[in-house]
Amino acid sequence: MAIMDFLFNLLPHLVNGIALGLLFALIALGFMLIIGVMEVINLAHGSMFALGAYVALVIMSPEGGISAPFLQPWFGIDIIPRYVAGLVIAPVIVGVFGMGLELCLRRTYGKDPLYGLLLTFGAALVIEEIIRIIWGHGEYVLPVPKGIRGGFIYADLIWSNYRFFAAGFSIFMIGLLWCFIEKTPYGAIIKAGAHDNEMVRALGINLPKLRLFVFAFGTALAAIAGIIMAPIWGIRPQVGVDAVVPAFVIIVLGGVGSFWGAVIAGLMVGMIVGLTAAYYSDWSLLSMYLLLLVVVTFRARGLMGKVSLLER
Amino acid sequence: MERMISETSKWFTPQMLVAFAIFGTLPLWLEWVGLYSYIGLEVLIWVIFALGFNLLLGYTGLPSFGHGAFLGIGGYAMGWFQLNAVPNLWLGLLFAIFITALFGAAVALFVSHRRGIYFALLTLAFGQVFFFVASKWTTLTGGEDGMLNIKRLPADFGFVSFSLQDNYALYYFAFAMFVVTVLVLWRLVNSPFGKVIKAIKQNEMRVGFLGYNVYFFKWLVFTISCAVAGLAGGLFAMAQEGAYVQVMSLQWSGIIVLMTLIGGGFVSFWGALIGTVVFYLARDILGTFTDTWLLWYGLMFMVLVMFKPEGIAGMWQDGVKYLRRRRAAGTPPVVAEPARD
Amino acid sequence: MALFEAQKVHKRFGDHVVLEEINLDFEEHKLSGIMGPNGAGKTTCFNVLTGRYKPDRGRVVFDGIDITGKSPGAIAKMGISRSFQVMNVFDEYTALENVLLPVPEVRRRGLHLLYDLANDSESNDKAAQVLAKVGLAGKERALASDLSYGERRALEIGIALAAEPRILFLDEPTAGLGTEATAKLADMVTRIKEGITIVIIEHEMNFLFNLADVINVIQWGQVVAVGTPDELRANPWVQASNLGKLA
Repeated sequence: MAIMDFLFNLLPHLVNGIALGLLFALIALGFMLIIGVMEVINLAHGSMFALGAYVALVIMSPEGGISAPFLQPWFGIDIIPRYVAGLVIAPVIVGVFGMGLELCLRRTYGKDPLYGLLLTFGAALVIEEIIRIIWGHGEYVLPVPKGIRGGFIYADLIWSNYRFFAAGFSIFMIGLLWCFIEKTPYGAIIKAGAHDNEMVRALGINLPKLRLFVFAFGTALAAIAGIIMAPIWGIRPQVGVDAVVPAFVIIVLGGVGSFWGAVIAGLMVGMIVGLTAAYYSDWSLLSMYLLLLVVVTFRARGLMGKVSLLER
Repeated sequence: MERMISETSKWFTPQMLVAFAIFGTLPLWLEWVGLYSYIGLEVLIWVIFALGFNLLLGYTGLPSFGHGAFLGIGGYAMGWFQLNAVPNLWLGLLFAIFITALFGAAVALFVSHRRGIYFALLTLAFGQVFFFVASKWTTLTGGEDGMLNIKRLPADFGFVSFSLQDNYALYYFAFAMFVVTVLVLWRLVNSPFGKVIKAIKQNEMRVGFLGYNVYFFKWLVFTISCAVAGLAGGLFAMAQEGAYVQVMSLQWSGIIVLMTLIGGGFVSFWGALIGTVVFYLARDILGTFTDTWLLWYGLMFMVLVMFKPEGIAGMWQDGVKYLRRRRAAGTPPVVAEPARD
Repeated sequence: MALFEAQKVHKRFGDHVVLEEINLDFEEHKLSGIMGPNGAGKTTCFNVLTGRYKPDRGRVVFDGIDITGKSPGAIAKMGISRSFQVMNVFDEYTALENVLLPVPEVRRRGLHLLYDLANDSESNDKAAQVLAKVGLAGKERALASDLSYGERRALEIGIALAAEPRILFLDEPTAGLGTEATAKLADMVTRIKEGITIVIIEHEMNFLFNLADVINVIQWGQVVAVGTPDELRANPWVQASNLGKLA
C-alpha cells in the first residue's frame, strides 16, 4: 500500500514532468528545424528562449523596463489581452533577431564548421550580456492571468493550474507546428530543404530566403517556449544555456529528422528533470547536464540520416 | 638536404624574447602607464591559462567550453593542500597541477572520441557539473563564499627564501612559471606531437588512417592543457588569497574562448597571450568609460569570427606578409612561407 | 597465396546487400584494378578492404594475417595505405609537411614531446623523395591549399605513399582530372609501381587498362570477371556490357 501511496503522490509531479517535457520538445523542434535546413547548430537558441521571456515582460508590464507615462493606460488594462499580446508580439521580435543571427552566420557557411559553432556561442554570450545590461542580474516574475495561476486540490493532492495550461498550450503549439510542416506548401519546402539543399535550389526556391525564414520561425518557437516556461524557471539571464541543453539531448535521443522522436524524447527528458525537481529541487538543472553526459556518451550515433553533421 | 620546414626548431624566438622582455620588466613601467600591480599579476596568470587552453582550441581545433572549471579546481587543490596538508609552495603547486591534470584526464576519457558540437557540449556540461558541485559542496570548497585564507607561501629554496606577499614579488614568481610554461609549450607544439595535433585539427580522419592513435593524442593534449590550467589555478589562488567558484562559471569559460580566438590562437602561439592582454585592457580601460565593455568584447569576437577568425595575430601576419611582398616587388613571387610564429 | 585476399566478404546495409560473398586476391608487386559501374559495390568493397567498414561475413587477409574488422589505424601500421577519392589533404600544411607526417619514423616518434623534427634530415629527405616521385618536386614549401587540383591529387596519393606501405589502395584517383592531368597521373603511377603492390578502383577504363596487370570487374556486388586487360578485352560479357567501350 505504501507503494501505491508513493505512486499516487507522484501524480502531480508527473504532470509537471509532462508539461516540462512538452515545452522541451517545443524548444527542440525549433532547434531541429534550424539544424535540418542549416549547416550549423545554433547554440544561441537558448538565448532566444530567454529573450522571448524578457521581451514579453517588457510588453506586459512596466517592470520590464519601459514605463513611459503615455503607456500607463496599456499597463492598466486587464492582464489577459496583455498576456496574449506578449505571447504573440515577443516571438515576432525575437524572430527578427533570429534573422539577424542567420545573416551573421552566412559568412561561416562553407568554412570549417568550428567557426559557425564559435559564432553562435559568441552570439549566446553576447545576448546574455545584453540581457544583463538592460535588465540586470536579478530574477523577474512574469505576470500571468489569474485563471491559470495558482493551484487546486483534488483527491488530496496539490495540482498546479499553470502546469496544465503549459502542457495544453504546448500540445496546441506542437499540433500547429505539425500541421504547418505536413499540410502546408511552406512546410513541404522546409522538409525538402532539410533533406537536400541542392534540390531545393534547383526547384527555384530561394535558399537564402528559406534559411532566413526557418531561422525566424525556429527562434520564434524558442521564444514562445521561453514565455510559457517563465513562471516555471523564472526569468534570469542564465536561463538561456539551461534551455539549449535539453534541446540538444532531445535531438541526440530522438534523431535530427524525426518530429515525433523529438516529442517522445522531450517527454522523457521532461519527466526526468521534473521528477528530480520534485525530490531534489536543487539538482533539477544539474540533472539535465548529467543526462547530456550520459546520453552522448552511450548513444554514439543518435542521429538518423545526417550522421556527419554534428560529428564534423 | 637543407631544412625544409620553417625555422621553429629553435628554443628561443624573437617573439619569445620580446614577450619575456615586456613581461619581465612590467613592474618597472606598469604604474607609470596608470595601471596597478595586481592587474599585471592577474594578466600573467590568465596568459598561462590561455596558452594551455590554446593547445586545445587553436592547435587541435577542439572547442572546450567548460575550461574555467579546471582553473577553479587548480585553485581549490592549492588551497586545500595548504590548509589541510603541508603549507609548502612547491608541493602545493605540484599538487594543484597533479589534481587538475587528473580531473582533466578523467573528463578527457569521455570527450576524446569527439570533436565539434559534441565535444563542445560535453565539455560545457562537465564544466557546469563541476561548477555546480563546487558551489554546493560547502565543506570542501566553501561554496559560494569560496575557500578563504589561502596564503602566499614563501618561495623557499633552502638556502634562501623569498616572501611572495608583495604583489610584485608574487608577480616575479608567476613570471618564472610563465617562462617555464612558454619554453615547454613551445617545444611541445614544434615537436612531432605538435605536428600531429595540428594535423588532427585539419583532418582528423586522415590522421587516423595514417596509423596514429587519434583518441590518445586528443586525450593527452586535453590532459596537458588541464595541467597548465592547474598551474594557473594554483597561482591564482595565491594571488587572490582565496579560491572562488565564479571562475568555473560558463561566463568565464566562455571568456577564455573569446580571448584565445580574438588574439589569434588559431594561427599563432602568441595569440592566446595577445587576446588575454586585450581583454584586460578592454576591462580596465574601456571599463572606466562604460559598463558594457564585455558586450563590445563579445561583439568584437563575433565580428572576427565572421571576417577574420585568424584574429589579431592573423592580421599582424597579413601585415608582415604584405610588407615583405612589397619589398620584394620586382623579384619573382616567393611561394608562401607558412611559418607559425 | 596472394598478398591480400578478400574471402567471401559479405556486406549489407539494412536490407540492401552490397557485396555478395565476394572473393578477391591481389598478388604482390602487381598492379590490380577493380572496375565496375556506379552502384556495383566498388566503393563499399574498398572501404571493407581498408578497414572502414566491417563485413557481415567473410574474411580479409593480409600476408596470411586475418585483418577482418581491424581499425584503419591498426591496418595502417601493418603496411596498408589508401588514398581517398574526396581530397583529404592537410590544407594548412606545406606539401612537405603533408608527406612528412605519414613517414614511419615520424609516426613512431609521434608522442615524442621534445624531439626536433625540422632537423631530422633522414625523415625530411624521405618526404622530399616522395614528393619527387609523385611529381611535386620543387613544391615542398607550397601550401597544400595553394596547389592546383591535379597537384593536390598527386599530394593526396603522396600522403598514402609516404607511409611506405606494402600495399597501396587508390580510390578513383582520376576523379575530377582532365585528359592531360590523367595522363600525368598514369605516368606517376607507373613511376611508383616499383617494389610496391597497388590496387586501384577506377571508373576511367582506359586509365586502368593501360596500367593494370590484373583487373577485377565487379557488378551487382559480385566479381563477374577477372583477368589481364587483354583477356578482358576479349571477354564477351565485358564487350557486351556498357563497360566495353575501349580504345
